[in-house]
Amino acid sequence: MILAVLFANSEGNILVERFNGVPAEERLHWRSFLVKLGADNLKGVKNEELLVASHKSVYIVYTVLGDVSVYVVGKDEYDELALAEVIFVITSAVKDVCGKLPTERLFLDKYGRICLTLDEIIWKETVTFCVIANEHPFAFSSMDTAANVLPHPFS
Amino acid sequence: MAQPLVKKDDDRDDEVDYSPFLGIEKGAVLQEARVFNDPQLDPRRCSQVITKLLYLLNQGETFTKVEATEVFFAVTKLFQSRDMGLRRMVYVIIKELSPSADEVIIVTSSLMKDMTSKTDMYRANAIRVLCRITDGTLLTQIERYLKQAIVDKNPVVASAALVSGIHLLQTNPEIVKRWSNEVQEAVQSRAALVQFHALALLHQIRQNDRLAVNKLVSSLTRGSVRSPLAQCLLIRYTSQVIRESTNDTQTGDRPFYDFLEGCLRHKAEMVIFEAARAITELNGVTSRELTPAITVLQLFLSSSKPVLRFAAVRTLNKVAMSHPMAVTNCNIDMESLISDQNRSIATLAITTLLKTGNESSVDRLMKQITNFMSDIADEFKIVVVDAIRSLCLKFPLKHRSLMNFLSNILREEGGFEYKKAIVDSIVILIRDIPEAKESGLLHLCEFIEDCEFTYLSTQILHFLGIEGPKTSDPSKYIRYIYNRVHLENATVRAGAVSTLAKFGAMVDGLKPRIFVLLRRCLFDNDDEVRDRATLYLNTLGGDGAVVETDEGVKEFLFGSLDVPLVNLENSLKNYDPSEKAFDINSVPKDVKTQPLAEKKATSKKPTGLGAPPPGPPSTVDAYEKLLSSIPEFASFGKLFKSSAPVELTEAETEYAVNVVKHIFDGHVVFQYNCTNTIPEQLLENVTVIVDASEAEEFAEVASKPLRQLPYDSPGQTFVAFEKPEGVSAVGKFSNMLRFIVKEVDPSTGEAEDDGVEDEYQLEDLELVAADYMLKVGVSNFRNAWESMGVDFERVDEYGLGPRDSLAEAVNAVINLLGMQPCEGTEVVPPNSRSHTCLLSGVYLGNVKVLVRLQFGLDGPKDVAMKLAVRSEDETVSDTIHEIVASG
Repeated sequence: MILAVLFANSEGNILVERFNGVPAEERLHWRSFLVKLGADNLKGVKNEELLVASHKSVYIVYTVLGDVSVYVVGKDEYDELALAEVIFVITSAVKDVCGKLPTERLFLDKYGRICLTLDEIIWKETVTFCVIANEHPFAFSSMDTAANVLPHPFS
Repeated sequence: MAQPLVKKDDDRDDEVDYSPFLGIEKGAVLQEARVFNDPQLDPRRCSQVITKLLYLLNQGETFTKVEATEVFFAVTKLFQSRDMGLRRMVYVIIKELSPSADEVIIVTSSLMKDMTSKTDMYRANAIRVLCRITDGTLLTQIERYLKQAIVDKNPVVASAALVSGIHLLQTNPEIVKRWSNEVQEAVQSRAALVQFHALALLHQIRQNDRLAVNKLVSSLTRGSVRSPLAQCLLIRYTSQVIRESTNDTQTGDRPFYDFLEGCLRHKAEMVIFEAARAITELNGVTSRELTPAITVLQLFLSSSKPVLRFAAVRTLNKVAMSHPMAVTNCNIDMESLISDQNRSIATLAITTLLKTGNESSVDRLMKQITNFMSDIADEFKIVVVDAIRSLCLKFPLKHRSLMNFLSNILREEGGFEYKKAIVDSIVILIRDIPEAKESGLLHLCEFIEDCEFTYLSTQILHFLGIEGPKTSDPSKYIRYIYNRVHLENATVRAGAVSTLAKFGAMVDGLKPRIFVLLRRCLFDNDDEVRDRATLYLNTLGGDGAVVETDEGVKEFLFGSLDVPLVNLENSLKNYDPSEKAFDINSVPKDVKTQPLAEKKATSKKPTGLGAPPPGPPSTVDAYEKLLSSIPEFASFGKLFKSSAPVELTEAETEYAVNVVKHIFDGHVVFQYNCTNTIPEQLLENVTVIVDASEAEEFAEVASKPLRQLPYDSPGQTFVAFEKPEGVSAVGKFSNMLRFIVKEVDPSTGEAEDDGVEDEYQLEDLELVAADYMLKVGVSNFRNAWESMGVDFERVDEYGLGPRDSLAEAVNAVINLLGMQPCEGTEVVPPNSRSHTCLLSGVYLGNVKVLVRLQFGLDGPKDVAMKLAVRSEDETVSDTIHEIVASG
């Protein structure tokens, strides 16, 4: 399942987070772990270059997009490859919503739409489908690939 | 008042610090939510308010029940608006607010209307919201629409319905199973995402029907699945089918292997990787089957994408555990990954190389790792240290370079966990590789010269006290230990004093000099340090002369306590300081927790200093003391072996009883550990009546009843049998617990005077050949085997009949003999048709025994075994053969 999707700004403050099946008391641990992981490794990384890590039996794929860092955490069938696909959709959608690489300000300006898009990409612990929030709600932009980003809803 | 959301303004783009949510407050936003009730809705403003609500929820803010209900009702008004953007926000916020069942009813009709709307977007989202908030009764009402949606020509609507089905299957499986036909139709969809979700749902619906899954896989592997993700799913289902089916026995071919192999040439990397991983995880995979998978993984190792490199090296790391030889071809590629930017990849590469490397490549590898260690985090370093420890145990001859490596990294900067891992590893190597002992101890000594962790210093000092005196030149350690007395905190100083005293007690020649040092400690400013020094000076005796220390004194000072520490701690806490001194004999010798502790000890690998020095010997010591304190058993001689406790009752019964089998040369003592779990009862005069009619060679000689067994306070009763001396007699004993039961008044805790005699049937107990064997390992089997010589070697061959697997046969023989497997030979690689297992042990009468077992598959299932035994006594060699022949 996808355990968490998290956006943070360059100072490590959380902008958006969605946890699935992670008990409330463990969330703080995850937040600080991910932010530290980003602080240690994301410096100087190119936009959308994927980094990968594993912590116990959990996989983390993360990247940087403008001023924002994005983390996706999964386990079992959502291994590093599946997460790489998920994060690809998420970053593509965020870029589409913002119209360019997001600054923190731009990200917050488009906050509502980003939440909307995220909701439509990930439903509970399963990736559902991706609708890029363009003017036309079904504009998949260049994404016939959007149809290909749907990892394994095993349970 | 919160800042209003500001429309994007190019002039302000540079103000990166500016946040549209600056100063946002929950109360103010809830006030703002009143705009939802306006008769003239402003969609833009409403969307902004919902965004703020979402922001608050994402920042960890929570709404009270009343607040959430209020917002929810206000949001329902927004269905009046025809603005598409706003409607989507409404869907999101409804899900976030997760309304209760009685509130849901307000929106269901609106959502059901949206579900049949002409707008695709509404249909898809309404389905998702409804399925999220719905219950079973509503589901039957909307089932018809959901079935239609599954075959909707818009892929997004179809997918929404299918994924809803996946979630609903958990709560309402009966309803979802009725959609099978529609789902099957969707599997044939041209849209990749529909196909993917449909396949996932169809499999979940059929997952308990093996035949149906088999059919599904058969038909799809023939056809063309468009979506790469659906293809990945298919590969997983195929592996499942392969696992559950058997090979074609005539050709040896594996069903569907060709499909998996074909997927290795797929255009999507994800599919290639999935297929490669599926092949490596096949049961009993052969090297012919493995080769193509390893080849594609090898290509991934040099991919420019870190995710692919990580995936490949992670899979190869797993393969290396079972098939190290298959991975060796990738070693060169993996060596280049040691310098990978991503440390996770580098660490996996190193640990894989450490598993696949051979003895000759160790030195080269260590050189590379040394450069790598300086720039990775502690958590990765710990993984590497563990891998190096395993490597050293695998190639004991390389201990010098590996030990040097460990000592070098011990000197570098690092946190507690990392340092502890290194120290633990060194300790384990010292214990298992005798040649590494002296250098290892010196490394530890150097480490404590500059160690910032009190815990590690005291543990190392304790370890030095045990191992140091047994070395060829114990005096060289004294300087390091005595330095601690000058330079460290009180805890370490006290530890150092005890270690010095141990040297004094064990090495008579050092005693005078130790006494001089201990006398200096009498002026320490810490009580504990002074007390210890005084105690040792007064008890070691001889006033510093070169005399042997009395055994009794050694036992008193450094022997193990024969009571569990937890019990001692509890008793001391309950002890009221008074005229009456604390009596250590009053501490219960509770062995109730022992099975658990022993399980832990056997399942966990030795953890070095962290764990107490090997569990079993100290338990045996405790048992020996306990038994020798009972006059009836004092004449039985030296205790040879005590078994692990065997449970004689089910868990959660009124009386919990387990038994420990103590083996002496001519006697066997059963120690029954009893616990009374009924608070209202006191048991008295507890005995176990043993019927030995199925154990002919045994005759009961003594029985020691337990006077009282109060609630939850374990006690022991013993029964002793005589048996022919030196003979490993076996038999079956049936047991009956007999006692007098007295009612206890729960309010006063006092028992009634009169009791009733009662009995309680326990399970039977068996004494088997393995009970006469001590598990004692050897560090180098080959040397031990050669030095034992062929004088008393006995070799024979046996047919073990049909077995499930070779591994099962190997385990059965190991358990039958009760010996210690050496050099990891108890693990049988999954696909092997032959295997050699090495065992060592000490047999009754302290006779060393070594066993070499060679297993081979004879036909499809029959296992044949060649058993070679070498021992110090010819009759023991014969006995081992008899055990196997009769087992």
